[in-house]
Amino acid sequence: MNRRHLWISLLLIWSLAPMLWQLISSFTTTAALVDGAVPFVQRWTLIHYRQLLSSDPPFWRFLLNSTALASASTVLTITLAIPAAYGLVRLPQRWLRTSRALIAGAALFPYVLLFLALLELARSLNLGNSLLALAIPYSALSLPLALLLLTAAFEGLPKDLDDAAKLEGMSLMQRLRWVLIPLITPATASTAILVFLFAWNEYPIALTWLSRSDQLTLPVAMARIAGSSVYSVPYGAYAAATVIGAVPLLLLVLLFQRQIVSGLTNGAVKG
Amino acid sequence: MTWLLLMPAALLMALVFGWPMLRYAWLSFHADSVLTGLVPVANGGANWLRLLADDRFWQDVLQTGRFALVSVTAELFLALLIALLLDQRWRGRGAVRALTLLPWALPTTMMALGWRWIFNTPYGPLEAVTASFGLGPLNLMASPQWTWLATVVTDVWKTTPFITLILLAGLQTIPADLFEAFRLEGGRSMQALREITLPLLLPYILLSLLFRLAQAFGVFDLIQVLTGGGPAGSTESLALYAYLNAMRFLDFGYSATVMLGGFVLLSLSILLGALALRLSGALRPLQS
Repeated sequence: MNRRHLWISLLLIWSLAPMLWQLISSFTTTAALVDGAVPFVQRWTLIHYRQLLSSDPPFWRFLLNSTALASASTVLTITLAIPAAYGLVRLPQRWLRTSRALIAGAALFPYVLLFLALLELARSLNLGNSLLALAIPYSALSLPLALLLLTAAFEGLPKDLDDAAKLEGMSLMQRLRWVLIPLITPATASTAILVFLFAWNEYPIALTWLSRSDQLTLPVAMARIAGSSVYSVPYGAYAAATVIGAVPLLLLVLLFQRQIVSGLTNGAVKG
Repeated sequence: MTWLLLMPAALLMALVFGWPMLRYAWLSFHADSVLTGLVPVANGGANWLRLLADDRFWQDVLQTGRFALVSVTAELFLALLIALLLDQRWRGRGAVRALTLLPWALPTTMMALGWRWIFNTPYGPLEAVTASFGLGPLNLMASPQWTWLATVVTDVWKTTPFITLILLAGLQTIPADLFEAFRLEGGRSMQALREITLPLLLPYILLSLLFRLAQAFGVFDLIQVLTGGGPAGSTESLALYAYLNAMRFLDFGYSATVMLGGFVLLSLSILLGALALRLSGALRPLQS
């Protein structure tokens, strides 16, 4: 045991203990949650999970909603961002620099401020309470980061490559499809996972757009349980909900951590 | 042709980022609330005058500023320590880096709920810890003086990993021979930190500072779920106030004014901060 081990242990405890506490609470009976004197063998239960899955709508519904919305947002963002990033790189240098500054400004913008005008738009277009319509603002909000990452990726490709393919008589569509897009796959993967995480976690806009309980996304459903009972808080049920909601995300992060790290750092450094 | 490729993305971004600001500018000069039957009626600068005299708005400005400054400073400091630790070579470093990233990836509402349970009086683990030191109940979530610290702790837990990653990327751009040379000349490690690491890391520090300050100024999810702005409004943020104006008091004109006013203050403070940095010469290493 040296000093470094001590620091590493502290770091891990700080990062993980709150989540472990949720995990433990989710398996603890309500009586044991408020009474430390309950004997160890009588503390454990699956009741919180059973309640969540048998509630109306069942909790997995929100997982499904969030997954569908996050997937739709990711596909829409990538579809818009790849051609736009290619177009940006082909702009004259001066224009590219101005657009970059604008895009970086949009990436910094505290987007929560947009909720009211977006809500008005949704209502006038009759899109309120439609889960998948949220993919439209989510894509717009993800575009700044997506564009920063993907323009950097296109710039990293040798210019001759595109020219040579053009000389071969390939159309723009063919060049993108067969030459350029395959070469920027790593950046596209990073972008996709970050957009997915953003859409999965987004709260204020989903909160104001959705009200029908079978349409809610996971973050909104969680907050709604929290708000429904200010005085007696059903913490066992909460904890079970956090565990169910967190597990898919944790797997995703551990699986794609390389893409996430490179996406975040490239987005920050090149942006 | 190039323009055609750009158009869909540009239009969508203009609609989602640009339109709201124009709409708020217009709304802020209109009464649009239950009193007007939710129909906008021009009211001159009445909203803006009301904003200037609104104690709750200014209190929220101060509270949001305090939250942003304290949590971002703490995050930067912690992230620097963690990044220095993760930059060294040791077994299992990749796994530890992945595990420490987890708090950042979870939805804010979800873990804000979790922390509410941790801070709970009398059943949360925090109370258990303080009780084992013989202290009485903390009542952290019910004391207007201290509850804001709970919001800071939760934010630090959640966003430090993000800054850590940025700083780690910065550390990895510093060539190792620089430290080698420094050590050969007899420099000590604290000195190396001050004279090599920090100056070379400065762009990354400023970048994460700028990004995080802007985000923290718009804090909403965390406050709404963790404290609901209470107790006694002591943790209410600007975004939450704007949200309440629109969704609870149904006063859209004033909500737009609050958001625009907050945005102007944020932009001004970032501009002033940047100007002060430039004048103080802290940015000189960047220009060379």
